[in-house]
Amino acid sequence: MPSEAPGASRESVRAIELKGRMMLVSVLRLNTADAAELDAVLDARMAEAPDLMRDMPLVMDLEGLGPLPMAELLVTVERVRRHGFKLIGIQQGEVATAPVGEACGLPLLVLGAKSGEAAARKSAPEPAAPEPRAAPAPAPAVHTPTRVVTQPVRSGQQIYARGGDLIVMGAVSAGAEVLADGHIHVYGTMRGRVLAGVRGLATAHIYCRRLDAELISIGGHYRIAEDILDSERGENRLITLVGETIRITEI
Amino acid sequence: MARIVVITSGKGGVGKTTTAAALATGLAMQGRKTAVVDFDVGLRNLDLIMGCERRVVYDFVNVINGDANLRQALIKDKRTENLFILPASQTRDKDALTTEGVGRVLDEMSREFDFIVCDSPAGIEWGALMASYYADEAIVVTNPEVSSVRDSDRMLGILASKTKRAEQGEGAIEARLLLTRYSPARVEKGEMLSIEDVQDILSIDMIGVIPESQAVLNASNSGVPVVLDEESDAGQAYIDAVARFLGEDRPHRFTTLQKRGFFGRLFGS
Ligand SMILES: Nc1ncnc2c1ncn2[C@@H]1O[C@H](COP(=O)(O)OP(=O)(O)OP(=O)(O)O)[C@@H](O)[C@H]1O
Ligand SMILES: [Mg+2]
Repeated sequence: MPSEAPGASRESVRAIELKGRMMLVSVLRLNTADAAELDAVLDARMAEAPDLMRDMPLVMDLEGLGPLPMAELLVTVERVRRHGFKLIGIQQGEVATAPVGEACGLPLLVLGAKSGEAAARKSAPEPAAPEPRAAPAPAPAVHTPTRVVTQPVRSGQQIYARGGDLIVMGAVSAGAEVLADGHIHVYGTMRGRVLAGVRGLATAHIYCRRLDAELISIGGHYRIAEDILDSERGENRLITLVGETIRITEI
Repeated sequence: MARIVVITSGKGGVGKTTTAAALATGLAMQGRKTAVVDFDVGLRNLDLIMGCERRVVYDFVNVINGDANLRQALIKDKRTENLFILPASQTRDKDALTTEGVGRVLDEMSREFDFIVCDSPAGIEWGALMASYYADEAIVVTNPEVSSVRDSDRMLGILASKTKRAEQGEGAIEARLLLTRYSPARVEKGEMLSIEDVQDILSIDMIGVIPESQAVLNASNSGVPVVLDEESDAGQAYIDAVARFLGEDRPHRFTTLQKRGFFGRLFGS
């Protein structure tokens, strides 16, 4: 939560605002530093979905490369950049030490054990989240099929509907996480973490049969369990983003 | 071909081994040739609960490594016909359980037995994954408290994707819940989750509700599976669970508070 630094005047507080925002980051893990091989696969990846790829904030994971001379690491990171990928950081590790981050000009991030887990941490550092990034990504021209999950989403599982909506027929357990670029419908009890519009779509909605969530988020704004009133929990809820506020209403 | 069932939980100390021993013994009592396999390498205690710890010569890892054959390692139960125990190794670590090795041994056992009951170690690490990998179905053991239920939920998610059947595209294996150490009195006081709470959270079939019972402690201390104590509440509840496992439809017992007598009503809260 934003707090006034000691001695900061009211004006300076207003001139900039520090806000907790969440975003989904994908982690690009490199398992080879071989130039030809990398060029080929990166080209192919970019060609698959250029619009999506070019806008996707990526964190690099270099741990699969093993110990390499610094120069070679730098060249490899640069190679990925040249293919048009937007790198926002490097996952800290044994290969990616502080000097490597500094040399590449990228912040070192500590992500959760599983990729994606850190995507929605309230306390996670967000070095590369300039506000404008929350602007909606250009929608892909073709219709992305809605992802339908017929099994309950259990604790520890994570489901992400990239580029579209998500429908979960059963419950989302405490400790589970579901995300979508679009709307999310949950036809069981929603107890876990539910994040709609994760790439900035502020008009995304969450519909649920019963709300008892650990966290709800739309377009990067979120409310944690503590901030969800008992009176707001309950059956048949619609969750929307109004301005900067997550609103919960009964359907 | 044997039906392979894994007894698993996620959280430790909830009653997996007690349940594996009870189910295996119960099935054997019904005339089904049954083996119970201890996957808890390094912490073996199935043999203690089965009361055969003094007859262990070879173990599961010995068979995997080819140091002994199945016939040498399987311990025939002295009390119950049709029942065999394959103990875990006390001295090896979990890495000794290779996917190939476990598969080979279970395959060989499958030809001989009707049921193979796999007693999983706690956690969601390698040993637990190996115990469930070849399973045809699972019994997830849970205590009526939040952390145990949460871990079971986690385990159910893992079972849905990390078994051989799931990997081969046959979908999730059937998983049922066994709720144990249930105390209606503590549920009434709000100190424990109720059956309804647990079912609401996990939404899977309940194969049994076993009451918190002194009989279980007595049974493990004397090395006699609690199903053999047919007088006891826990023994009867396990007998019911075995019957349900074999397809019978039985109502759950020991799930409500016994009616209090006059003095109970007078002095009860
Ligand atoms: N219904 C019950 N009533 C009372 N005590 C019980 C009951 N079920 C199990 N226990 C006790 O709980 C303890 C743990 O049981 P058990 O060894 O079967 O658990 P486990 O899940 O196999 O443990 P681990 O994860 O260490 O393998 C034992 O002391 C056992 O006697
Ligand atoms: Mg055990």
